[in-house]
Amino acid sequence: MLSPRLFRTAVVLTTFLTGAVASSVALAQAGKDLVIGFANAKSGWVEAYDTPARRAAMIRIDEINAAGGLMGRHLKVVETDTKSDRAQSAKAGLEALDQGAELLVVSCDYDFGSPAALQAQKKGKLSFFLCAEDIKAGIQGVGKNSFSSSVLAAVQGATMAEWAVAKRNVKLAYVLLDTTIEYDKGICTGFDWMADLQKGLTIVGRDTFKNGDASIAAQISRIKALPKEPDAIMLCSYIPGAASAVRQLRAAGINSLILNGSAVDGSYWLDSVPGLSNFVVPVQGSIYGDDPNPKVEEFNKTFAAKFGARPSSTYAYPGYVLIDVWAKAVERAKSTDADKVTEELEKMRNEPTIFGPRTFTKEIHHQNQARMLISEIKAGKPAIVDQWTITKAVPLDVLLKK
Amino acid sequence: MTATLQYLFDALSLGSLYALGALGIALIFGVMRLVNFAHGDVMTFAIFILIAPTTEAVAPLWVGAWSTPLLVLTVLVAGAALSIVSEWLVFRHLRHATPATTMMASFALGFVLQNTLLVLHSSRPKAVNLWPTLSMPMNLWGARVPGLQMLMISITMLLLIGLAWMLKRSRVGLEMRVAAENFDMARMLGVKANRVILVAFGLSGTLAALIGLLMVSQTGLVDIRMGGPMMLVAFVATVIGGLGSLGGAVLGGFLIGAVSTALQAWLPLEARAFRDAFVYLAVIFLLLWRPDGLFVTSAVRQRV
Amino acid sequence: MNTFFQRHRLGTPLVLGLALLLITILSLTGSAGLQRTVTEMLIRMVMVVGLFIFVGHSGVMSFGHMAFVGIGAYGVAWTTMEPSMKLMMLPGLHKMLQQADLPWVVATVLGALLAAFVALLVGSVIMRLSGIAASIATFSLLAIFNVVYSNWDSVTGGASSIVGIPTSVESWQALAFAVVAIVLAHLHSISRYGLGLRSVREEPVAAQSCGINAWRQLLVAFVLSAFVCGLGGGLDAQFLGVVNPDAYYLSRTFTCLTMLVIGGSASLSGAVTGVVVLSALIELLVRFEAGVSIGAITIHLPTGSQEIVVGVVMVLMLIRRPAGLMRGRDWSWPTRSSPAKANLKAPLSN
Repeated sequence: MLSPRLFRTAVVLTTFLTGAVASSVALAQAGKDLVIGFANAKSGWVEAYDTPARRAAMIRIDEINAAGGLMGRHLKVVETDTKSDRAQSAKAGLEALDQGAELLVVSCDYDFGSPAALQAQKKGKLSFFLCAEDIKAGIQGVGKNSFSSSVLAAVQGATMAEWAVAKRNVKLAYVLLDTTIEYDKGICTGFDWMADLQKGLTIVGRDTFKNGDASIAAQISRIKALPKEPDAIMLCSYIPGAASAVRQLRAAGINSLILNGSAVDGSYWLDSVPGLSNFVVPVQGSIYGDDPNPKVEEFNKTFAAKFGARPSSTYAYPGYVLIDVWAKAVERAKSTDADKVTEELEKMRNEPTIFGPRTFTKEIHHQNQARMLISEIKAGKPAIVDQWTITKAVPLDVLLKK
Repeated sequence: MTATLQYLFDALSLGSLYALGALGIALIFGVMRLVNFAHGDVMTFAIFILIAPTTEAVAPLWVGAWSTPLLVLTVLVAGAALSIVSEWLVFRHLRHATPATTMMASFALGFVLQNTLLVLHSSRPKAVNLWPTLSMPMNLWGARVPGLQMLMISITMLLLIGLAWMLKRSRVGLEMRVAAENFDMARMLGVKANRVILVAFGLSGTLAALIGLLMVSQTGLVDIRMGGPMMLVAFVATVIGGLGSLGGAVLGGFLIGAVSTALQAWLPLEARAFRDAFVYLAVIFLLLWRPDGLFVTSAVRQRV
Repeated sequence: MNTFFQRHRLGTPLVLGLALLLITILSLTGSAGLQRTVTEMLIRMVMVVGLFIFVGHSGVMSFGHMAFVGIGAYGVAWTTMEPSMKLMMLPGLHKMLQQADLPWVVATVLGALLAAFVALLVGSVIMRLSGIAASIATFSLLAIFNVVYSNWDSVTGGASSIVGIPTSVESWQALAFAVVAIVLAHLHSISRYGLGLRSVREEPVAAQSCGINAWRQLLVAFVLSAFVCGLGGGLDAQFLGVVNPDAYYLSRTFTCLTMLVIGGSASLSGAVTGVVVLSALIELLVRFEAGVSIGAITIHLPTGSQEIVVGVVMVLMLIRRPAGLMRGRDWSWPTRSSPAKANLKAPLSN
């Protein structure tokens, strides 16, 4: 009995020693290069959502380097893997910071990005969420040097409400909320807030479902039981639940205009609902080649050339915007010190980017008002039909009450 | 009246999905006393052969492009094959292990399957448009029922009758029931243990693949995590129906479907998000009332 | 030779505690990342030991203990976050909680007490069940916890993470609590409650005829295990600084259960060994996936393979050792061979 026990102990200790020895941590590179750390998911289920935005960020970094660097310094990229795990995310952030990162770019998803962002905040470094759309991915959650480059979920819902009333004469609306993640609730909060401000818009009913529900038959029955089919259905959800819901809605003969958040952007899922029409999505830029700004299509082509395929959804774009605004702020502050750069970022009002103007304030490190392009799907083909900026910014207490 | 009928059909359609899943789990439990946590992942793996492995956002169809009979046959065979391979590689070596060990081994197996799919396909859901005409609603006495739901309900009923007949009347079924009662005695009496178990696993895998096809037709997507929520409910349904009883598993599935649909239809809006909490509360109360399940088989009943 | 030491079999917790101390000290020579890994392992150890207190002694596979971990974690969030942040993010909190700002040890213990209280209420109802029905009941508990915490937005922040919990926990704090958990588990094990529960597991009818009330033994173990799991949850929250209902749901349930079963669910050493071995394995594979340079060669596993390899290894371990690595036995303090030794080293079960 003694040998096997000792053997086991030895195995256990050896594995730890190997780990200790093999923990190759590169020393911080001081000097000429400006290090940007990317603590993203390179494996696991979050990877599919982080990669497009990260690639877009790389494109901007390459552009800056080609133009001579930032403040004359070359931008160096350090990438660590969060493995779609929260605890690993914190370690990935630490590793990147240990390698001298001045800016930590964290996961798209707020839940997975925040542990890494917290590490950056503790070390007094700036953190940027790739495309988080939760207000807490910023001052109100992580800390005073944390930002997100995407558009808040509430803005997406509010845009849909205002646009549908103004441009599609919607009078009766139904709200279908997917309660699985906070993002969905954010969209519906924005929609409800804006709907309250619209004269002539009545919300005739509400219901909830979960993304993993195999069938929404009961929810559909409730809609069918209404005296009149609603003009529009606000669907606050994401793929795959949203696609499944739309498929079932249309199969049941409900032909209302379906309003959505940005999460359903993309044509990759359209095969689930062939011949889809009367379906609108607010986006930051068009992946379909018809963006009003020709620079967006240039970007799409560069993306395709570099990575083998065009961006699959609007969520690649915030990655580009992130590096863009940060670099501008660094140049204005003439330093990479987190507090100085934060100050410059907070001064930005309608700062032009190729995906629309961006604003940051002392209170909100997000976009609570933004120009959104309206993409409509007709007979299974998406195209940009309009653009809209909500006339009133979503107030902070609406955002916090979610 | 129409509203009640509509509710009934909604409940039946959700319930039949859970019932089919529960059947697959009950089949293996009845023979091997093994709760197979990998069942959902076997289902997912089997239907992912519909598309070609690629991490791009849009996946080209592979088996999904074949003619319907060939498609169905291939997917069902894939499910059966995967299930049989998993028995041969993993569960055969755990015949005499404790239930806890086999449970965790089945979970680990499911974990491996899911992560293999993740590497091959990435976590993004992929669109697969399978038999869209099935989703068209039929009008039955004023209630709107998608054709797919009618199909699911009928398949479940047919399978239940078919499997019950097979268990009662055919030789294979007799051997399976005997193995479920007393495995070692059955072997001593000449029942080929390995064959019986392989048949059970094969059937279970086929059932899993079948549910997968129905789910894809309903939702229009394949997603590496689609097996999870449904299999959990199927597992619960098997237990409340009475472990080892096929009829009980089906009843359990329909019961959970009925309660879930009822709550979705009748709860006030503020409470609707908590629907699943109420369903599971109901499960706990049902178990307190009938700890051995609704149909107690002689194999489970305590003798003292 | 019936000394206090031998009578209470203190050899086991001593050996386990010293081993963990050694690992913690070794980790300090490594990078900050390694220290975090060891801290995570120690926190997970608290959870798995808590799980062992119930699962190991009763033989009932409990899927619900992560609910108690989560209750402990959120309890700590409610009592240690800055009041101004709570006002902003959790407007529905009771005024007393909203203004609470407790020291971390007190908060952790209070969170665990809350978990134990919930376990008392729930356990007194579901401990009448046995076998797989009890397992399903515990799973229902987990599902209910997840649904309630994911949707009670004003009090728990809903499905998204609460950020802003002060991170007071590092290696030494985690080690201290891991040792506390081991001591508690050991004391329960050798007490009449542990013994009584094990007898119920082995021969329920005989135990009943000896006057042992199964329900009471199960309840005691359930509440104590919930307390220890709650401690683990509090530590987890104060280590990561972030809590989220999904972190205490299926994935962590299965990770902890697998570690317990692989180590051997019948003994405390099994629980500890399972956590250490699997954590080491996972960490080793993660490093290889990131790329390890030995001399001039860099070994690089393909991304995504770490989980697959871990899964395969888990299956193989279970096939080779169905009763677990420790097979129900305990590590004990090495003593000189003596006739009394045979009794002391008798396995606690199986």
